[in-house]
Amino acid sequence: MRPILFAENLRKHYGGVHALRNGCFDLRAGEIHALIGENGAGKSTLARIIAGATRPDGGRILIDGQEVSFAGPVDAQRRGVAIVFQELDLFPHLSVAENVVIGNARFRSGPFAGARAMEAFCGPYLQLSGLSVNPRRLAGDLSVAQSQLLALARALSMEPRVLLMDEPTSALFDDAAEHLFAVIGGLKSRGMAIVYVSHKMEEIFRISDRITVLRDGATIGTSATAETNLNEIVAMMAGRSLEEVARHAATTRGAVVLSVSGLTTAKLTDVSFDLHRGEVLGVAGLVGAGRTELGKALFGIDRLSAGTIRLNGGVIRPRSPRQAIAAGIGLVPEDRKGEGLMMRMSVLDNSVMAVQSRLHGSGLIRRQRELDAVKPVLNGLSLRFGSYGSPVGNLSGGNQQKVLLARWLLADPQVLFLDDPTRGIDIGAKQDVYRIIRELAAMGKGIIFVSSELPELLRCSDRILVMKDGRVAAIVDASGASQEAIIAAATLVRPTAPQDHDAR
Amino acid sequence: MLAVIFSPVASDGSRIFLELGNLSDILRQVSIIGIIALAMTFVILTGGIDLSVGSILALSTSLTAMWLVRSSNVADYGAHIAAAIALALAASAAAGLINGVVIASLEIQPFVVTLASMIGVRGLAKWLTSNANIDIGFGRDVAASFAETFRNKSIVIGSYAALSALLWFVLSRTVFGRHVRAIGDNERAGRYAGLPIRRVKIWVYALCGLSAGVAGVLYAAENHQGNPNAGVGYELDAIAAAVIGGTSLAGGAGSIPGTIVGTLTIGVLTNMLRLNNIDSNVEMMVKAVIIILAVAVQRRSSND
Repeated sequence: MRPILFAENLRKHYGGVHALRNGCFDLRAGEIHALIGENGAGKSTLARIIAGATRPDGGRILIDGQEVSFAGPVDAQRRGVAIVFQELDLFPHLSVAENVVIGNARFRSGPFAGARAMEAFCGPYLQLSGLSVNPRRLAGDLSVAQSQLLALARALSMEPRVLLMDEPTSALFDDAAEHLFAVIGGLKSRGMAIVYVSHKMEEIFRISDRITVLRDGATIGTSATAETNLNEIVAMMAGRSLEEVARHAATTRGAVVLSVSGLTTAKLTDVSFDLHRGEVLGVAGLVGAGRTELGKALFGIDRLSAGTIRLNGGVIRPRSPRQAIAAGIGLVPEDRKGEGLMMRMSVLDNSVMAVQSRLHGSGLIRRQRELDAVKPVLNGLSLRFGSYGSPVGNLSGGNQQKVLLARWLLADPQVLFLDDPTRGIDIGAKQDVYRIIRELAAMGKGIIFVSSELPELLRCSDRILVMKDGRVAAIVDASGASQEAIIAAATLVRPTAPQDHDAR
Repeated sequence: MLAVIFSPVASDGSRIFLELGNLSDILRQVSIIGIIALAMTFVILTGGIDLSVGSILALSTSLTAMWLVRSSNVADYGAHIAAAIALALAASAAAGLINGVVIASLEIQPFVVTLASMIGVRGLAKWLTSNANIDIGFGRDVAASFAETFRNKSIVIGSYAALSALLWFVLSRTVFGRHVRAIGDNERAGRYAGLPIRRVKIWVYALCGLSAGVAGVLYAAENHQGNPNAGVGYELDAIAAAVIGGTSLAGGAGSIPGTIVGTLTIGVLTNMLRLNNIDSNVEMMVKAVIIILAVAVQRRSSND
């Protein structure tokens, strides 16, 4: 069968780092083709080149047997290639309909695009993507899952023959991901060719027809999904086979380090729990259930309207992250690009960002002192990077996350809130994150670990706090809990609270 | 290098251009804008802008001159001059401090806040001087002595050089300088990392006001007067120097050496065009092209 799209020997480097050395790929109509590989393997770069968003240094792309060279994403769209990016690029102050039509060559109007014309245009695509919201709502008011569907609708409105999706489920909880799979299956049956970039093995094996594995910027091979298995793919990705990691053995619990009672903010209602030294408290819940907001309340970002936070028995009331850090609380934010890192600044600058006053009392930067502090931490994280002076923006997502973790390992807080730290990173980097969580717990820190993936929560946590609609739905012991019980607590209306008429 | 590039343009005046006296004249001419541009670089690095520097310069020249001519028979010239300068610098730094406090505390966009203070401080300078120039004169009194000292080439160029070195050091070798760059790169991430964002912003605008004050003192000496109408458009010249030197108005990217190069580029260009008797209106048009060219070249090289 002749491929609709064929790419060979694609190359791209950023600074001294080769993001892609030999990217090869072929795609057939009506297939879902998964693209996988560890952090920095070059998946996203390959996808971006095919979508015209990044210019390759060399290699060639053929569409229907004709060589093409895209001047930009719009050019690629004209040739029938559209992409849904990993980092959603929506316009939060524009309406849903405006987000679909903006920059869309297929939507023709005079200088005054009428709301009705826009809505008529985008209606079918919203339906196709399964997004049922008023097209006049602002994109910024949508949930993460809804934003994902809107980005999909926008890509579909280009009427592509080739659709690239870069980790579409990385921020989605299971129910939203299920919905997305159904939508993708529908697109496939209409003959669309779908490139699906993901880290999640379960979903790749469920929905894909073929799998292409990349490692260190080169294509290792392509297999039909039906003819391969998990171990084979993992071995191709890693160049080694997967070691099964046993469940984190419960460490001995110390005294209570953090005690929260009646915590209430604009997004949280009456949240209470205790966290012990050496304990990993997992936090589960749907997107929008208040997991991130719990971190914001503890970290002095959101204002408390009621409730108390006790750290080592003393009441604290941080009004800024600065005060929270001084009190002994750290937070690794969910959005590492927007809230975590300074992308143009160096690995070293970013690593020491939260400990500068401790390293340099007088205000002068002493580089050697910084290197002495940072080196062991970065080595312990097995970070791959060019030099201490290279900008963090040149690193892959997983390595960026490690720099952010290094910042907080250096800051050495008593309580560390990790907000979905494994989001969008590969198996190898995830193992590193799990290991760090265990090490921190063994050192007597209190860890709060938010995740959208239940298996890793069950594996790493001692107890799991399930949130729903800004409240604590349940706190369960991780060793005895099942995924089903947690999903039920996160999604079902409890019979004890029948008067809960939340419109959501 | 620039001198070589422009040598065909400067053919008539190239002999004069290369004389040491002319080269140091260029340095002296760019010093006032150059000093403002140094601090402007800090402001722009944080993602801000300061439109009030020209007005603060006017306030500073006016206060300097007013204090100097306040009494004609002064026993201790040094103390009197020091008091005049201290007054001008304190007022300038205070104006910058107010900019910073309003920007950081009320969280209003820097463009709006400094636009307001550009108008307000200009009004203050004009009101204090009753809209009149205050002549320092060329006699043998304390005011003239001040002007003779502070219009001296080595003092002017020395001030610019010293401030350049100091601010380069602060930006690249201190925690404060790193905070400035970090906030411009990603302010939200800075907040999450516990950086003292409000404090850094306040100091950056105070620094910018102070440097406009220094420039104002030098301006008063250079022109032998306190002029409440001085410095109109200087904010744009300072911003242009920073931008030509590679500072991004989006914040996070820029350096002191870059801004110095930007300042000298404008200075050398102006000097050459003048040596060749080119109309000052044409000079403005050439400057416009240079700004765009400089930024376009940097964009190309940073994209690859």
